[in-house]
Amino acid sequence: MTSIDSDMARLGLPEPNVVVSTEVNGSPVTEQVPARLSAADFVRHRLGLTGTHVGCEQGVCGMCTILVDGQAIKSCLMLAAQLEGRQVQTVESLAPEGPLSPLQERFRDEHALQCGFCTPAFLMTATALAADGRARTREQIREELAGVLCRCTGYEFIVNAVQAHLAAGRAADD
Amino acid sequence: MTDLSTREAARPTERERTVLGSNVPRKEDDRLLRGAGQFTDDVDPAHAAEMAVGRCPYPHARIAGIDTSAALALDGVLEIYTGAQIAARSGPISILRPVPGAPPIPHFALAQDTATYEGQPVVSVAATSRRVAEDALELIDIDYEPLPHVSDVISAMAPGAPVIHPRTLDSNLLVSNPQGRGDVAARVKEADVVVEGRFRVNRVTGLPMEPRAVLAEWRAGAGALTVHTSTQSPHLIRTQLAESLRIDEADIRVVTLDVGGGFGLKLGIYPEDLLACLHAISLRRPVKFTEDRNEHFRSTTHGRESVHDYQIAARADGRILAMSDIYTNDLGGLNSPFGSSQLSTVVFNGPYKVDDGFVERRIVVTNKTPIGAYRGYGQPEVNFAYERMMDQLARRLGADPVELRALNMVPPDEFPYVNAVGAIYDSGDYERCLRMAAEAVGWAAHRGQGHQPRLPDGRYAGIGFSCYVERTGYASSKFLAARGSRFGAHESVTIRANRSGSLDVYTGVSSIGQGSETVFAQMCAEFFGCDYDRVRVHTGDTGASPINTGSFASRTVIAAAGALLDACVRLRGKTLRIAAYMLDVPDPESLSIVGQAVQHREDLTLMVPLPAVFERAILGQGLPEGELPGLDETAYFEPREAAYSFGTAAAVVSVDAESGEFDVERFLMVHDCGTPLNPKLIEGQVRGGLAQGLGQALGEELVYDPESGQLVNGTMMDYFAPTACDLPPVELLHTAVPSPVTPLGVRGAGEVGCIPVAAAIANAICDALAPFGVELDRLPITPERVWRALRDSQASA
Repeated sequence: MTSIDSDMARLGLPEPNVVVSTEVNGSPVTEQVPARLSAADFVRHRLGLTGTHVGCEQGVCGMCTILVDGQAIKSCLMLAAQLEGRQVQTVESLAPEGPLSPLQERFRDEHALQCGFCTPAFLMTATALAADGRARTREQIREELAGVLCRCTGYEFIVNAVQAHLAAGRAADD
Repeated sequence: MTDLSTREAARPTERERTVLGSNVPRKEDDRLLRGAGQFTDDVDPAHAAEMAVGRCPYPHARIAGIDTSAALALDGVLEIYTGAQIAARSGPISILRPVPGAPPIPHFALAQDTATYEGQPVVSVAATSRRVAEDALELIDIDYEPLPHVSDVISAMAPGAPVIHPRTLDSNLLVSNPQGRGDVAARVKEADVVVEGRFRVNRVTGLPMEPRAVLAEWRAGAGALTVHTSTQSPHLIRTQLAESLRIDEADIRVVTLDVGGGFGLKLGIYPEDLLACLHAISLRRPVKFTEDRNEHFRSTTHGRESVHDYQIAARADGRILAMSDIYTNDLGGLNSPFGSSQLSTVVFNGPYKVDDGFVERRIVVTNKTPIGAYRGYGQPEVNFAYERMMDQLARRLGADPVELRALNMVPPDEFPYVNAVGAIYDSGDYERCLRMAAEAVGWAAHRGQGHQPRLPDGRYAGIGFSCYVERTGYASSKFLAARGSRFGAHESVTIRANRSGSLDVYTGVSSIGQGSETVFAQMCAEFFGCDYDRVRVHTGDTGASPINTGSFASRTVIAAAGALLDACVRLRGKTLRIAAYMLDVPDPESLSIVGQAVQHREDLTLMVPLPAVFERAILGQGLPEGELPGLDETAYFEPREAAYSFGTAAAVVSVDAESGEFDVERFLMVHDCGTPLNPKLIEGQVRGGLAQGLGQALGEELVYDPESGQLVNGTMMDYFAPTACDLPPVELLHTAVPSPVTPLGVRGAGEVGCIPVAAAIANAICDALAPFGVELDRLPITPERVWRALRDSQASA
């Protein structure tokens, strides 16, 4: 908490608000939000997109990974206000209706999830990797995934799923 | 009672491809992959208030005064509780699995006059948002008078150490439980060789990715409390809440949908569960609490910390004469809601046969976060001690550590084997696992090479083994009752037929990632005869499920299998009777359920759709004489005995003998969990357990500063939890010896991965550094610790 917030609190002032206009999963969104609301809490509790999770609020565990302008970022370290004018993509965009996306199917087939709490973050990280189209070794994939923690799986099956997905995507491009 | 001794007895025999034993797609996956799982913090009722908790920043302090006036004046603050108000409104928190003989240390949801660990809740604030609640905490003035603290279990028992609970205890020793058989002292006297060592096991956290969360909703008019909480044991939570809140269990419904990992940490109620309920009842609006990660590190139970003084006496030929373990568990500042781990005693001898044995468990209070259950519950700790000892014994005797182990293992024809503390090992082939592991890592070739630095990198190569047994499930409610445990050994299910032809399965087990919904549906489909995708499993709602025990102790499938089988057999019997009546067939057993139809076994033209049979039963229209309407069954099952999983892990390492830096080049495990019901899920469980075991072995440790008593690495940034880059390659092999004491022959698989890792890696490093006489005795194993051990061994040589 910053000292400004503390002062506000001492004075008993209401939380300052800002208006943010952004695009989330392809739809325009304009909301008035507390200035100190995080982007993660914004998508979760204002927009109801609860597939994005919160695990540490200090940018380490990676549970809150979403795409902002195509880049995988940790949304607990961003304020909702910083989404102004940006394009946001959350896990809910991967298969909005109908069957699972090919990436999600890979995760299911490889048993790459157990409790599922970290899964949206791995999916969004893998989505960003697939989008840039670069070839990566298994070791490089491991490094890319190291920004998201998983406590259930031991990672092996997650790496399998992402590697298979990236390989399939590159084969399709060739 | 249905005969559960063999799977064949009850199984519909005509189905060629069985769903049980195969890798069906998980029931849980679709929603989780879409981000549509429902974890506790995802539930956002209208008008919910949010709670924040103020915690003692000292390891031990008297609370001289609390001034909440400035905070209460803050816009948006709804209510503040301090210790006195909580003691007036609720009772102490009960312990589900107290250590036998331990006097209770009553504690309330908020500290009364004294706080005994950093992170203990002292005040709670309910406000219109979490941000406002946290602002309010900043405005609460608490006058702490720090008291002398103790951080280390051994110094906590030293003369003159400050006594943390002087009203209950004369010293910091909560209880000691000696147990054993034979005469260890006499065997030690007649032994040719005796090895002994002190082994320190690190304090770690299970660190589920979903923090703890609770949402309490009170319907004042109805006097009904609904509690959404992230727990492994909804029914046990309901009982504990009722006791502490002093309201009837009937007035409480606990709902647990998806749980983002448990690992033993989410067993029993935490102070915040009670606080949220009390605020909700008082404010007449929903109250939510989700811990932040820094709170998690200080207030959610830790695991493992213990000191084992282990001793093995043996003859010159390697035959073990006696084993003993006197171990001290760190309790922390208070009892955790589940209680201190107890299984170091039960499996103290691992897979080895020994007539004379002695174990003493000591539980010691310190000023640290309480220790509770964590995957393995004492078994990883004691495995590190006895398997390090086995290697040291081999070195003293000049024996091959593989042969020494094989010589002493309980042989397959000596089951059931009763160990020195009365645990009954059910069955197994321990030596086969060891031989398979030795073969797979090339032990014979390695041992033949001697201990030379290898070319071309000058590193020393080592191979280490760890053999284990794991107690899975509970040995009946009699066993639990004798230990004062406040839950049973059983599981229960209700199965209900729908007119559409589908089945609902209701269980009080919660879905914590282990795949219960999938395996329950597999079993139901198999036992009843219907299709897997026509079974829907509803978990974790005390309002819908029969009272059960919960998801812990690697017991869910073992106990639930019996209940599912019994319920399915009865449901199937009634279905066939009604179908026989509809088809005008005299013998219901001449029919069978095949997918969505009931069919005659020989005359395949005699067939009726399953939905038609279900509809008759549910409407009660057109039933045979004497048949009651309705088609649902509730069944309970209690296993007779615990089943013991077993296996051998092997690590291959290379070590730089100058710097202590080392690599785990291979890690292999041969594992037996009896009849596999879903091999892929078992592999997932074992790999996940191994990852936590590797974390504990190689880096995880909650470090307390001895001077200040403060946790120094209590953030996600500072605590090492392995990432996708930090784990060595893992190879798995398995055997499948069915257990004779469980339905289907299954053994538990949930915790096993945690058990053998540290010992295997330590043994491998000590094997590599045998020329230097290095023996590692504490966890985690880091390059610095290996370097220090090298330096110390050179100094003593």
